[in-house]
Amino acid sequence: MIGQLIDGPLWYFSLAVFGVGMLYRLYSILRAGVKPDLAPPRAGGGAGALRNLFSRFVPRRDVATRGRLTLIAGYLFHLGLFALLFFAQPHVDFLAERITGFGWPALPYWAFIISAELAFVGLLLLWLHRLLHPVTRLLSSVDDHIGTGLVFLVMLSGCLALAQAFEPLRLLHLFLAELLLIYFPFSSLMHTFTFVFSRGYTGAMMGRKGVNA
Amino acid sequence: MSRARIPYRAVTAIQGGVFILFCLIVLLPMLTPTAARAQTQTNESERAIPVPNPSADLWREVRQREGIVAGRSQVAGVDSGTLINPYGETWRNFRMQQLIPYSGYLLAGVLLLLTLFYFILGKIKVDAGLGDRKLFRYTLYERTIHWFIASVFLFLALTGLILLYGRPLLIPLIGQEGFSLLASASKEGHNLFGPVFAVALLLIFFRFVRRNIYQKGDLTWLLKGGGIIGKRHVPSNFFNMGEKSMFWLLALVGVVIVGSGLVLVFPVFGQARITMELAHVSHAVTTVLMIAVILGHIYIGSVGMEGALDGMTTGYCDLNWAREHHAQWAERCEQEGEVVSESEVSSQRGEAAGGPAAPSGMQESGQ
Repeated sequence: MIGQLIDGPLWYFSLAVFGVGMLYRLYSILRAGVKPDLAPPRAGGGAGALRNLFSRFVPRRDVATRGRLTLIAGYLFHLGLFALLFFAQPHVDFLAERITGFGWPALPYWAFIISAELAFVGLLLLWLHRLLHPVTRLLSSVDDHIGTGLVFLVMLSGCLALAQAFEPLRLLHLFLAELLLIYFPFSSLMHTFTFVFSRGYTGAMMGRKGVNA
Repeated sequence: MSRARIPYRAVTAIQGGVFILFCLIVLLPMLTPTAARAQTQTNESERAIPVPNPSADLWREVRQREGIVAGRSQVAGVDSGTLINPYGETWRNFRMQQLIPYSGYLLAGVLLLLTLFYFILGKIKVDAGLGDRKLFRYTLYERTIHWFIASVFLFLALTGLILLYGRPLLIPLIGQEGFSLLASASKEGHNLFGPVFAVALLLIFFRFVRRNIYQKGDLTWLLKGGGIIGKRHVPSNFFNMGEKSMFWLLALVGVVIVGSGLVLVFPVFGQARITMELAHVSHAVTTVLMIAVILGHIYIGSVGMEGALDGMTTGYCDLNWAREHHAQWAERCEQEGEVVSESEVSSQRGEAAGGPAAPSGMQESGQ
């Protein structure tokens, strides 16, 4: 009964909340618009936006030195999670069956495991840093901890279900993933998409001013 | 969204809770299901109908008594020419008859000892009392990697203990189906987090190795039992002899744990079954030893000693605590003017409004 609920209605509900909520949030950002810049532009904003979007993936030297732990852990977590989410064989099969209707090449098992381990190392270090650093601790809201905790639980339950031999473990993983999907649009996890807007806006603004930011 | 502040008092309470919870998890299953197990065994023996195995003589011949007898086989692979590995039975008997009961007694004994220690001696107080002057003890990076290895270790210890003691202790409680699910989850989690522990161990080793090299005065600390013999505190440096010995024990034992764990989790490098059996035995023995030592470490850090946890949560320790437990280090810090007031620490941590700015020597973000 619970299994059918998790596998059926709750999955579609969480997917709908995620899709609608995410689109609404993005639409709200776009609809808010920006103040008109009355100064004559020195260069095009588009190029600046594009440059800023990608150049920010490489940290400045002082940031890379002072925040080495968060930098390395951040990359480990995000890259590991991306690989895990979209290129683990069970996820490829699930997405192909439930959403896309087609599959794509998956990572070999060993690479999938290493991705998961890197993601765990990164997530744990980042969460501990958030809790222990006086500044990030004060800046962090309950939302940040719930988001991090949910991502951690989804990853952990997925790792516990790796044998794919017990239905309750798979359902637990799916249920936690559904909770995450429902929570996602209302949380700071939206930075998955909004980072493009914030970087693009800053880059465009700087580009128009002729600043190589 | 409202901002959440997690006070370190709460963190301290959580640490104490974690220790008690850990003790309960380890101890309870060892005490409760004995009667249930005996009853189950009696029922099983009553139900069993003795049926002689018609192939017993054949297999006895195949077994060829002692030693591994390898024949020829078309099947490629390690051990493919060996029909029966007699050491498997030796390993199984060791696991069931020695490893599980004796390691259980060891862990239960350590927990009992710590409980007695607590009820007889209580929490070791700072004689001069906790004051308002602090010393910076651990950087953010050091605290982060400490809690990183702590969380990974707790997870591995819990899942490992489920795998080791689950069959005799948990099946009577949660049944075979429940245990098979729990064991599968524990095995997968244990295997996945094992290499993460290796990373954490390396980070800890390289960060703390310099401060754990033995120095003059360490032997005196040992000879006086760290202050247990006699009534005076024995002066020590940043780490005392006990802490240094624990560090080296854990480093060496950790290498065995990680090495044997990798042999077990990656059975694709041509290791034979006997290698796996030896790896399992060394893995189990060393991890039980490590859990026993870490129980003592958790005890001291949580409910055993006043002021011991502060350095690992806030980064700062009390000056009086440092004078009593790490006198040589505290003296050097005082001579170099590294003492800061509690208000300075609170201000720097953003826990109090106003207050003087933190001195430049306070390294919160030291990585």
